[in-house]
Amino acid sequence: MSSTVEQLSAQQPGGGEPPQPPAGQGLVPATWRRLKRITLSYASFWVIVFMIALSLLSWLGVPLSPYAYDQTTSATLSAPSAAHPMGTDELGRDLLARVIYGSRLSMMIGLTTALIALFFGTIYGAIAGYCGGRVDAILMRGVDVAYALPDLLVMILVGVLVGRGTGGILTALGLISWMGTARLVRAQFLQLKHEEFVEAARSCGQGPLALIFKHLLPNSIGPILVALTFIVPAAIISESTLSFIGLGLSPPACSWGTLASEGWRSLRTHPHLILFPSLFIFLTVLSFNFLGDGLRDALDPRTRLATRR
Amino acid sequence: MRFLSALAAAFLLSACSATPKGPEPGTLRMNIGAEPPSLDWGVTTDSTSFDVISNLQVGLTQYNGSLQCAPACAERWEVLDGGRRYVFHLRGDVLWSDGRRLKASDFEEAWKRLLDPRTGAQYAYYLYDIENAFAFNTGRIKSGDAVGVKALDDRTLEVRLKRPAAYFIYLTAFCPSYPIRKDVIDRWGDRWTEPEHIVTNGPFLLKDWKHEYKIELAANPLYFEGEPDLKKIKMFMVAEQSTAFALYENDELDYVDNRSFSTPDVERCRSSPQYHNVPLLRNNYIGFNVTRKPFDDRRVRLAFTQAVDRRVFPAILRRNELPAASWIPPQLPGYAPDSGPPYNPERARQLLAAAGYPAGAGFPVVELLYPNREDTRLVVEEIQDQLKRNLNVRIELVAQEWKVYLETLHRDPPPMFRNSWGADYPDPETFMNLFTTYNGNNSTRWSSSVYDRLIEAAEAEQDAGRRADLYRRADRLLCRQEAPIVCTYLSTQNLMVKPWVHGMEFNSLDIQFFKGVTVR
Amino acid sequence: MAWLVLRRALWAIPVLWVVATVTFILVRVVPGGPFDAEKNLPPGIVANIKAKYHLDRPVAEQYLLYLGRLSRGDLGVSYKYANRTVNDILSDAFPVSVQLGAMALAIAVLAGVPLGTVAAVRRGRLLDFACMTLSTVGISVPSFLVGALLIYLLGIWLKALPVALWESPRHMILPALTLSFLPCAYVARLTRASVLEVMQKDWVRTARSKGLSPAVTIVKHVLRNSLVPVVTILGPLTAVLITGSFTVEYIFAVPGMGRFFITAVINRDYDLIMATSLIFALILIVSNTLVDIAYTFLDPKIRLEH
Repeated sequence: MSSTVEQLSAQQPGGGEPPQPPAGQGLVPATWRRLKRITLSYASFWVIVFMIALSLLSWLGVPLSPYAYDQTTSATLSAPSAAHPMGTDELGRDLLARVIYGSRLSMMIGLTTALIALFFGTIYGAIAGYCGGRVDAILMRGVDVAYALPDLLVMILVGVLVGRGTGGILTALGLISWMGTARLVRAQFLQLKHEEFVEAARSCGQGPLALIFKHLLPNSIGPILVALTFIVPAAIISESTLSFIGLGLSPPACSWGTLASEGWRSLRTHPHLILFPSLFIFLTVLSFNFLGDGLRDALDPRTRLATRR
Repeated sequence: MRFLSALAAAFLLSACSATPKGPEPGTLRMNIGAEPPSLDWGVTTDSTSFDVISNLQVGLTQYNGSLQCAPACAERWEVLDGGRRYVFHLRGDVLWSDGRRLKASDFEEAWKRLLDPRTGAQYAYYLYDIENAFAFNTGRIKSGDAVGVKALDDRTLEVRLKRPAAYFIYLTAFCPSYPIRKDVIDRWGDRWTEPEHIVTNGPFLLKDWKHEYKIELAANPLYFEGEPDLKKIKMFMVAEQSTAFALYENDELDYVDNRSFSTPDVERCRSSPQYHNVPLLRNNYIGFNVTRKPFDDRRVRLAFTQAVDRRVFPAILRRNELPAASWIPPQLPGYAPDSGPPYNPERARQLLAAAGYPAGAGFPVVELLYPNREDTRLVVEEIQDQLKRNLNVRIELVAQEWKVYLETLHRDPPPMFRNSWGADYPDPETFMNLFTTYNGNNSTRWSSSVYDRLIEAAEAEQDAGRRADLYRRADRLLCRQEAPIVCTYLSTQNLMVKPWVHGMEFNSLDIQFFKGVTVR
Repeated sequence: MAWLVLRRALWAIPVLWVVATVTFILVRVVPGGPFDAEKNLPPGIVANIKAKYHLDRPVAEQYLLYLGRLSRGDLGVSYKYANRTVNDILSDAFPVSVQLGAMALAIAVLAGVPLGTVAAVRRGRLLDFACMTLSTVGISVPSFLVGALLIYLLGIWLKALPVALWESPRHMILPALTLSFLPCAYVARLTRASVLEVMQKDWVRTARSKGLSPAVTIVKHVLRNSLVPVVTILGPLTAVLITGSFTVEYIFAVPGMGRFFITAVINRDYDLIMATSLIFALILIVSNTLVDIAYTFLDPKIRLEH
């Protein structure tokens, strides 16, 4: 389940020596300029924009496909053709329409889970890392407990309490995904707070909030962003694993994950059922990863030179 | 990179030493899909366990090819006192696998153990028709002595029922009623079902049990019908259908059934000479909670049941399912083709209008609960779609995890739910009893005194013709006149058998006996 | 160091206790019970079963009974597998998971490190793109699909390897490969990032300027120093891998313990659910402790505050 990836991403290296505190102004334009130079990441950025646009447009009801995602036709399980570019499923529904509709839920699940995980994980990890000592020890044991609780049980409970719609899945995935970010942020803070520039800021009489928000957090942003690009795909994949176990979305709603988990047994008979949803997942995840790499480089002044080829 | 090429080299090397493929003469390799929860036939309740136990152990009677109870441990029996008393006469040559002779008291002890509240047996209620069985099982009497089962001598077993029950004889072929070796159970406790302790009397012996992986059976030289020709059965526990089917394709399994046969594979192989299809005694239905609006109105229920075109289910589910409009399956007495409602969307719209919802106007969005399993999803999606097209009503599908679904169904059934029922024995009683007023599995909350009286009369009726007629009337009342349920289709067993396997027989109860099988 | 281990050992007790308590509450709050089945049981029979497993006692008493048994190392009984105790079940399954997990771990490291190194050295080139795309496959393709593809390609089409089952070392290759996909991708990305960073260091430039060949520099200097973060994650990676994977075991019919993290919950097999949580917590604590010890060795900047 998702905990694997989360836990792994928690161990992202601290980045050795921290960069100079970036100047408060011009961070975004500067990063953007650097990102533009990394062709692959820049292209990935636009793929993600395209996917998000796809999901937003379908949300707003823009008819991107001549069929509705839940509209059945008599052409059951037909291979890709002019009428159905991606073919149809068992009930004769147009797969293109379903993939477009699926982008809505997959992107929402991926991004929202990441934001929930990021929000709670950062706060939790920041407190643990900043305070250190006993507070850190207790908070980190709390993370251990959260890891050890059976994910599936939590998901079933959330499903019962929140309902089985998208909200339930989002809450559940968020609930089991924040620990990785917490560990990551905590590790960053533990490392950074003994750096000269932090000690210097402290000796200048800056308070804890100022230290956290002006120094520690901005300098941890690189690894956090990288973790984010891991959590998004992990959430998309987790959701497909959930469907695989039988706890996915309620039909006729579908996502790339549910489409993949419903279609994979047809690998040999109707490969289009698994090919297209997987392709979209793959493209999205790939783009998130390349974007993450690019962002880290762009945010890190030390590697600036290397990117200018 | 270098590592990858090393890995590739390893693959090539291993390709050269591939295991020999093809039959292992005298050995049947099959997949049972999951670990049997228990091989203690007094405790277990699930089909995986029964599949193994059915080949390890034999009861008073056993099913023949046409699903009639044929003599087994009992060579003959008498039905006395108008169906209230059964006397079984046991064969004298039945030996347990440790060499001890089978005695009538082995049955008495088995049945009393099943009923003993301390055993905690889930299927104890199958014996509730026996005198004082209910009282003993629920603690109203402390001693099992008054229970109506008694070994008159080593070879005679007497059973007294509290009322005539025409289906009782089938219970003597059902795993929970098989004899036990009380001395073995007392000696080894919960561990008596392990291969080194278990004592059985059937055609095969439990040779090896690697939990969660494989069970091996071996031919029993002491079996009273003679040692089977098949020397060994390997039962693997491969959960994933497509994996198991890949094993079959690679000649590592000799036959596969639904547990190992995913729908795409059925589609791919259904024209193969190895393919077989057997309709099962498992009927699938959509139930209404008739205590909830709008389904408290009979006209709404009738409108729904006539608005469902059952012919499409085989095309969607693609496992050669049989469309079913009536509750009694065609294989059983009491079935009549016209017991179920016709498909008539026009009439359905009229009925819905008469109930106050012309063209679906004003009809509330109703929930349809179903367990989140692959085949059920397609069924409910199709029904949702058909009802929308034919009646212009909106159904909201609610999937629940299996156990949550069961609890919801048993405690607080939603307006509509998807369910199914598989027969325990080949008699209409197992289906029809379900919708009587006090049946714990009647989630429709539908209650009809006419129906209850018909079923009660049928259960006591000894004449087969009159009995079938009573069930036929009840079935018509249930499906065509009152419609607390919408029957949809009968499940089927889909199988592939390798050409080197002979003597395989399949029945609609889905119990597989391997004693007559040969592998050459 | 001894102090650290001792402190963690002392911490483990309250952590395990909290895990046990919260899980105990969760399993009883979640709808559906171990004896809910397709065939609803008569109330008298349910009462008999509950009495047999002491589930008729007040919850507080059940809780104390459980803690009492737990303190004696008895993880309880399985309601689903009526003739087996939880200790039986886990002692059969755990060694299988360890075997599979160890193999997957080996593949992940042995393939992930070279992939990451090559990508870093050839940064921005085609080879980098290829290696990173390959590693992304590991992250973006659900493991059931990876398994199905491997079964089809190597098992059915090429007939090079057994499709499934757990009979010989050859049977372990496909499940181990599938299981290693995700960690391998992760190790590769981690190595790439780490190698890139080390290559910026002054002493690497010095080595290069002294005339050492690029290959020697990479292997002898850069790689050795870049492996630090990879070694660091081996602890938690091991914990995740050796507790098994439901999907991989399911697809390849491997009798490991990963399945119980899912099936125990689906069956509401209370004691088995508790046991899986506790074992995971225990392994996590041990591996985290190992990581922290590794931290003190590898990076003195992280001080373990007492």
